[in-house]
Amino acid sequence: MKLTIQILLVILLFCTLSCGYMREVSIYEPSKSISAFEQFPYKILFTNSEENGFWGVKNNTCKEVSFETTNNYIGKDHLHVKWNASKCKYIGMGLKWGNYKVKNLEPIIESAAIELRVRIDSGAISNLPMFFILMDYGGNQCRANINYLDLEAGKIDTEWRRIRIPLQAFNYEKRGVNMSNIKELRLEFQRKGDLHIDNIVIVTHDHNYKKTKDTHTKVFDSHPIQFGAGKEYWWGINTKYSSTLRFGDSFENESVVVKLDESNEVLWNTFGFSPYQWMRADLSSIYTTSALTFKLKANELPELQAFLFAYIGKKRRLQKILNENHFIYKGNGMYEAYLPLKSLIGYSEFRWDALKEIRFKILKGTQFEIGDFKLIEFRGNPKKPTEWKGI
Amino acid sequence: MVYTLTAHSQVSKVEVTTNSLGNFELLRNGMPYYIKGAGAKDHFDLLVKSGANSIRVWSTNNKAFLDSAHHHGLTVTLGLHVRPERSGMDYNNEYAVKGQIEQLKNEVLKYKDHPALLVWGIGNEVDLRYSNFKVWETIEILAKFIKEVDPNHPTMTVIAGVDPSKSFYIKKYCPSVDILGLNVYGSIENAGANLRKFNWDKPYIVTEWGVNGPFEAKKTSWKANVEPPNGLKAEQRQRRYLELIEKDKERCLGSYCFLWGQKQESTATWHGMFLSNGKPTEAVDVMQFCWTGEWPQSRAPSIKDISLENIGWRKDHILSPSSQAILRIEFLKYNNKKVIIEYVLFPEAFSDKIGGDVQVSPDPIKFEIVNRSDDELIFITPNKRGAYRLFAYVKNNKGQTSVANIPFLVE
Repeated sequence: MKLTIQILLVILLFCTLSCGYMREVSIYEPSKSISAFEQFPYKILFTNSEENGFWGVKNNTCKEVSFETTNNYIGKDHLHVKWNASKCKYIGMGLKWGNYKVKNLEPIIESAAIELRVRIDSGAISNLPMFFILMDYGGNQCRANINYLDLEAGKIDTEWRRIRIPLQAFNYEKRGVNMSNIKELRLEFQRKGDLHIDNIVIVTHDHNYKKTKDTHTKVFDSHPIQFGAGKEYWWGINTKYSSTLRFGDSFENESVVVKLDESNEVLWNTFGFSPYQWMRADLSSIYTTSALTFKLKANELPELQAFLFAYIGKKRRLQKILNENHFIYKGNGMYEAYLPLKSLIGYSEFRWDALKEIRFKILKGTQFEIGDFKLIEFRGNPKKPTEWKGI
Repeated sequence: MVYTLTAHSQVSKVEVTTNSLGNFELLRNGMPYYIKGAGAKDHFDLLVKSGANSIRVWSTNNKAFLDSAHHHGLTVTLGLHVRPERSGMDYNNEYAVKGQIEQLKNEVLKYKDHPALLVWGIGNEVDLRYSNFKVWETIEILAKFIKEVDPNHPTMTVIAGVDPSKSFYIKKYCPSVDILGLNVYGSIENAGANLRKFNWDKPYIVTEWGVNGPFEAKKTSWKANVEPPNGLKAEQRQRRYLELIEKDKERCLGSYCFLWGQKQESTATWHGMFLSNGKPTEAVDVMQFCWTGEWPQSRAPSIKDISLENIGWRKDHILSPSSQAILRIEFLKYNNKKVIIEYVLFPEAFSDKIGGDVQVSPDPIKFEIVNRSDDELIFITPNKRGAYRLFAYVKNNKGQTSVANIPFLVE
């Protein structure tokens, strides 16, 4: 009995240990996994002219193309192209890659590159006016150029040098190219050149570079906003050359003291500032309910012209000559000014997501101080800025 | 080594200093050096004869320019071609940015000891229609690299016109840039004053200047740019050099006129001071006067006015197909006993290219001349509707030429 128990325990222990080392095996699992790259069937684009064809190889005044049979990198011949774009708008040729079958580059887009070998007849260069274009079956095109980081030895010379164009380097997202539906690869040439090309293939490639983000936009979505904080973001004030304009200190924030000798220094009658550190100020969500406001200290109201500039867009400048309707007198020579953004002619065509600068030109008036610029909420009649009860 | 240094081709030590008057000054091998330069790739003999001492080239793709300049005793402001955003460069793309920087660092190492090198021009008009301010980071990386490897040559970046935001960004992001290069055409009129207003506190070089560009010109109703006759352009050049560039002794280290050569930019004659056949225009004479104070013994004639059907060159000209029309020119012969006058018709060369981007020249068209005299051409307009431009060339027996053109529409 004791022996039987011992035998059963040994068998149980054996089974337990054995099961621990056993692997689950599916009867449908292939014997070895195949990577997306290995599965991609169209790895060869050009090795010789008999097996892989080009279109656009007919000679013209701007392009001389031949398939030379000596000094090849691989195969029976290689491509030799000389070009001069001075008389042509476009010089290019295309590869009949996979005989125009649909190529799905999506699975290999992060792990593959187009590789080719190039050489020139004499000298050495590190830059070539040549572009690679991928075109999808919708006719959309994206492009990439030769990058020094993937140019063997950093130069093209009389040796066959390796160039890689990572698929990630193509601007397919920006151009809306469907990388799962690629028709062909085109080579485009600009300016002037003379190049031997051979062995255009798809290879595995690690592309360890990132796309960074634009950090030069400041989004404003609530009021009030202090504008022009920091003297380094102002211009028009340089006391080495003129004492007409100088920074003042009568207000809580930045201000300019104007002492204009109208007979003399008319050159120094304009100043400006960036709303926010010369970044693009994005007011797109609040501009319709906003007014620019500032304080003014003067015995007599000067005549001022206000300008707003955008970094981009068709209409980059808005302007307005301010009149007494823009000002409220607060006593002791102090005024407050209100300029609703909707009162500026052409405001709807202005790029409020890229406000660049606010500028003032002094048209009339000799001595005053102006400052404490803010953007405030304004929901009144743009034509009657000072009549809104909300200010 | 890229080239062989000889006993006569030593590296020059160039530095920016302030002189006893408090003015910025360029010193070359210890001697004050005021740049009398041109954007030029050839005609160096005539450039030297005209009184120039320097050329500016925009990229490092041809070492022969430096060698030839040095052979002629000219210095070179050498451009590092930093790709502008408008050419498709994405400054948010780390791969593209690093690749460009490494390639240009390699170019710096190649050329830093060339004896003709005067100043590094890092980028040309990278600010033109740009939206990504990160380009200034690339400019600074290159300028800083130059400071590390080449203590002999100052650094400059070249912008398309002055602007307070550009001045701010270059000051903030590019402390290793010594000089601001200004490409200014119409805006040259206020460039010096504006730099001071924008608080640019370093020196500047006028890296491209000349007549107002096609982008600043009046346009016809069919969008053809209206080009002033050579005679008027010559007067504008002369005034701008003598009254604007040369007078700013405090900040301006000199200038490069544009263009000592020929290129298509809206027309074949807009900026170029030479014709496509290599012959000089009267702009060359003007530059000699600016640089030396003396006119050349043999001067090109000067076309002062051109009109079509008695309507001046500033106006629109709309003609019928296959109709007779009269073109008139007014010109000065100067000391030329005899001048030769030629007329050439071209289709209008519309282009959407900007900056110095390459434009394609059109081919001339045959047309019927009914009669011609010294200052008048009677011709038959093309039978095909479209935009055309008729050029008048007045040249002396040495080929020195003045040119004017007038665009017209056949409809």
